[in-house]
Amino acid sequence: MSEIPPGLPEGAEPASTGGFNLYIGPLYRLPDAENGGLKRFAFIAAEKHMNAAGTVHGGMLMSFVDVAMSRTSRLVTGAPRCSTVSLTTDFVGPGRLGDVIEARIRVTRQTRTMLFLSGEVVVGDRTLLIATGLWKVDGDT
Amino acid sequence: MIAPAIPPGYRETRLVDPFEIFVGPVYETGEGASRRFVLVVDARHVNLRGGIHGGMLMTLADLTLGAAVWDATDNAACVTMSMQTQFLKAAREGDLIEVCPQITRRTRSLVFARCDFTVAGELIFTAASVWKLLGRD
Repeated sequence: MSEIPPGLPEGAEPASTGGFNLYIGPLYRLPDAENGGLKRFAFIAAEKHMNAAGTVHGGMLMSFVDVAMSRTSRLVTGAPRCSTVSLTTDFVGPGRLGDVIEARIRVTRQTRTMLFLSGEVVVGDRTLLIATGLWKVDGDT
Repeated sequence: MIAPAIPPGYRETRLVDPFEIFVGPVYETGEGASRRFVLVVDARHVNLRGGIHGGMLMTLADLTLGAAVWDATDNAACVTMSMQTQFLKAAREGDLIEVCPQITRRTRSLVFARCDFTVAGELIFTAASVWKLLGRD
């Protein structure tokens, strides 16, 4: 497994499994906060994540939130598969090259087939993005 | 990887953002308000289930909506402020995704834009977005 780069919080583990999330990664999972109520993920902003203006591309931040919310959905349901139904993101502030960018995801409500999620993407105490998402728990088939 | 079948009359979109170049290429046809885009879904874009990743769809939305906003503002400096997305159906590796972005309203400092994604005429994804033109109150 790849080494955990310096700068990531203690307890970080690789979370990129393959396909697109590995291509845009590496992405990491961080230890839960709030007694498991908050799932945490991180990546370090590299050249490939940027836009021409020198900030992290919005597509990368949305992709990161999508991965974080998908993983959270699987973690809390135990379901092998969950799908994004809708996702709303507001871009609050810019991310910069080298930033350790963290997602903090919370489950607002969980039903048998659906999850309501909310979260934020931060660098330290600075907010980059806030998001709410609706996820579907897929069946075993 | 099988060479993607780009529809006749399309050309490669000029991308400048490193992240867009990293996930591209994207192709386009038409000019200005009638500019339309296509993406051929390849192995980089899909998840382990073989469906296109939601992040790639949202990145394509940001890219094409940004292009439409640029076209509508004589290439004004602008940033995405908000995006709302709905995922209707999965797309698979080899699928050709067609995108027709449209400007829904423009004010002095804001642009509202939306887009539908289709594969073989079937709607798979929609996005609505708000853009801020930098330096305008």
